[in-house]
Amino acid sequence: MAEEKKKGFSFTSREKNEFIWGWLFILPTIIGLVVLNIIPIINTIYQSFFKTGDFGRGNIFVGLQNYQKVFADKEIWQALLNTVRYAIVEVPFSIAISLVLAVLLNKKIKGRSVYRTIIFLPMVAAPAAIAMVWRWLYNSDFGLLNHIFHSKINWVSSPSIAVYSIAVIGIWSILGYNMVLFLAGLQEIPGDYYEAAEIDGATGISSFFNITLPLLSPTIFFVLVTRVIASLQVFDLIYMVIDNTNPALGKTQSLVYLFYRYSFVNKNIGYGSTIVVVLLLLTLLVTVLQMIGQKKWVYYN
Amino acid sequence: MLRKYALTMGLSLLGLMACGQKTDNSGGNSSEGSGTTAQESAKETAKAEGENNSDVTLSVSIWDTNQEPGLEEIMADFTKETGIKTKITVVRWADYWTAMEAAAQGGSLPDVFWMHSNESERYMSNGMLLDLTDYIKNSEVIKKENYPTDIWSLYGYEGKDYAVPKDIDTIALWYNKKMFDEAGLAYPTADWTWDDLTEAARKLKKPDGSQYGFCLRPNNDQAGYYNMILDRGGYILNDDKTKSGYDDPKSIEAMQILETWIKEDLIPSAETMSENSEDVLFQSGKVAMITQGSWMIAAHKKNDFSLANADCVELPKDKVTGRRVSIYNGLGWAAAANTKHKDEAWKLIEYMGSEKAQRKQAELGITMSAYKGTSEAWAKSAPFNLQAYLNMMEDMEILPFSRSTVSWEDANTELVTKVYTGELTMEEACKKMAAQMNEKLAEEHAK
Repeated sequence: MAEEKKKGFSFTSREKNEFIWGWLFILPTIIGLVVLNIIPIINTIYQSFFKTGDFGRGNIFVGLQNYQKVFADKEIWQALLNTVRYAIVEVPFSIAISLVLAVLLNKKIKGRSVYRTIIFLPMVAAPAAIAMVWRWLYNSDFGLLNHIFHSKINWVSSPSIAVYSIAVIGIWSILGYNMVLFLAGLQEIPGDYYEAAEIDGATGISSFFNITLPLLSPTIFFVLVTRVIASLQVFDLIYMVIDNTNPALGKTQSLVYLFYRYSFVNKNIGYGSTIVVVLLLLTLLVTVLQMIGQKKWVYYN
Repeated sequence: MLRKYALTMGLSLLGLMACGQKTDNSGGNSSEGSGTTAQESAKETAKAEGENNSDVTLSVSIWDTNQEPGLEEIMADFTKETGIKTKITVVRWADYWTAMEAAAQGGSLPDVFWMHSNESERYMSNGMLLDLTDYIKNSEVIKKENYPTDIWSLYGYEGKDYAVPKDIDTIALWYNKKMFDEAGLAYPTADWTWDDLTEAARKLKKPDGSQYGFCLRPNNDQAGYYNMILDRGGYILNDDKTKSGYDDPKSIEAMQILETWIKEDLIPSAETMSENSEDVLFQSGKVAMITQGSWMIAAHKKNDFSLANADCVELPKDKVTGRRVSIYNGLGWAAAANTKHKDEAWKLIEYMGSEKAQRKQAELGITMSAYKGTSEAWAKSAPFNLQAYLNMMEDMEILPFSRSTVSWEDANTELVTKVYTGELTMEEACKKMAAQMNEKLAEEHAK
C-alpha cells in the first residue's frame, strides 16, 4: 500500500489490467443492483413526495403531505405493531430451533444427509404453495389441525392469534435455510476445542454454551440481521392466507401488505411508496442498532 | 468474514425497495413518450404490411381458467379462418389487474385482453386501449344494436368505443335439494321473497353448527346484497356517479335483511366464510343455499356434489316492492393501444364478438353471450335449471361502477365485515360506507 501511494496515480500495466478485469467481473452484479434495486429505491423515494396519477402519469408534487398522513394514520401504526409481533415470534424461534437442529445434524449420525434434505425442503417450495398448504391445515372447519386436536380454533381468522399462526408458517419455511448457514459455521469450529474441553471434564451442554455459541456468534449475528430485515418485509404469507373478508385482517396486515393495498388496490402509489420509505428507515435503524449491539456479544477470531 | 456479511446485509436491505418499482412518466415526459409511440407504430405498420398474417401470434390475457378450454376452441376456429395465431395466458383475478397495471405502465400490455367495468374507465381515459370506434363503424359483423346498450356504455369513453362485449352475467339462487327434502321443505320457486328465504334458512339451520341455511360473504355485493338493495328501491351509486346510495333509507332497510341473517346465525360466521368461499361451503354440504353469478356454472357442472344435489332458481323478490332485479355485467374484449398488430387484434375481437363465435361460446357452456338471442343454447349446457339465469334478464341493472370502484369496494368490504363481527350495526356501517364512497367520488370528479 505504502509503495503504491508513493507512485501517485500512475498504474503499472498489470494494475490497469486488474482494475479493468475487476470491474468487468462485478459489472453484471452492479448492473443488476442498479436496475433492480437502486433505481427503484430512488424512484420510490421520489414518488413518496407525489400524489400519483393513473399509470404513473400526471403526478402532483405534494411535499411531505404523504408523510404527515402516514404518521397520523392509525392503520399504519397497527400494521407496524403487527409486523413487529410477527418478527418477534419468527426471528428468535427460527434461530433457536434451527441452531439446535444444526448442532444435532452436525454430529455423525445415520441418515444425516436425509434429515438435512428434509429440513431444507420447504426452502425449495414456492412460498405461495407453502401458504396454500398451511391455509388448509389451519382451516377451522375442514383443517387437519382442528381435526387432530378435536378443537374449534380459528387459527387464521381470529384477530388475537392469526398473526402468530402466520409466524409459525414463517418459522417452518425458514428453518432449513438458517440451519444450512449454521452448519457451515459449525464446520469452521476446530474439533480440538471440544476434545480439550472433554479432557477438562466439560459436558456436552457446557461446551455448547462455552465453545459452540461464542464461536458461532458471527454466523448467528448474520442470520439475526438478515432474518430481522426479511421478517419486517413479510407479505406473501399474509397475502395468501388472509382474505380481505377476514375479520383478522386489521390485526395481521403488515406494512408491506398495506403498501400493496394502497399501491395496487387503491392505486395510490404515492402513499404506498411513503409506507415503504418509512419501513426502509425503520429497517435501517434496527440494523444500525444491531450493528452497535453486536460488539457486546459477537466474537470474531 | 464481517465484510462479507455486511455486504449481504446491505443487499437484503436494498431488496426491500425492489417491490416498489414503478416507471414514472410525469407530465413532462408524456409528449416525448407519445412521439416514440408514433414512431414505433409507423415502423410497425411498415413491418406489418411486408409480413404475411400467418406469422402473427396475438397474445391474449384472461383471468378465468374455467373458460380457457372453450375459448381455445373458438380461437382455433379463428386461426383456421384467418391464419392469425393466438396464445392465451390465464392470470387469476386477484393478480390480473396488478399484472395489467405493471404492463400498462411498461407499455407491454397483451395484444388482446379482457376488460372489466371496475377498471375500464382508468384504462380508457389514460389512452391505454385501442380506439375501436372506426373499426366498429366499418364492420359488417359487429352491429351495436345486437348487444345490450349498457354493456357498450361500460367500455365507452367520450363517445368512443374501446371494447366489444364478450358476455353477460346474471345472478340466481342455488339450493341443496337433499337438505330441503330432509327438512321437509318445498324447493325455492320463482315466487319467493327474501323473507321466504329467511324463513327457510331458519328451518334449514342445524343448532350444532353443522349446517347453515344460507351463505353470503361480506364482499359478495354483485351476487348478493346489491340485488337486495335495488329490489327494495334503494341504490348504490347515483346516475352521475357523484353520490353513494348506501345511506338511503331503503338501502339500509335492504341491508338490514342481511343483518337479520347475521344476528340469527342463519349464515356461517365471518371467520368460516373468510377461510372458505361460498361455493366451497355449498359443495361440501355446509350450507343449503347460495347466490351465484352465471360465471360460476363451469365450477358446478364439473362438481359431483353439485351435480347430485344442487339446482338453481330465480332470485327472490322484495316483499314490499315485488321487484326482482339481477345485477348484470359483461366483460369486453379490448386491445392495447400500442399493440404491434392493430388490424389483427381487431380481427380477433371482431371474430369473438361475431354471432357465430358468441353462439359457440354459449353452446360450449363457457358463459352466456352478449349477442342478443345467442344464449338459449347456454341454458342446455349443464343439467341445472339454467333457464333461471335467462329469466333474470327480464329486470336487469348494470353493476355500479365509477373510476375508483376497486378502492371503494375494498373499503366497503372491510366495513360490512365489521357488521358480521358485531363491531358495527348495519345502519352505522351503511352510513360509513356512504361517507367513504362520497369522499372518493368527490376526488374522482376533482380530477
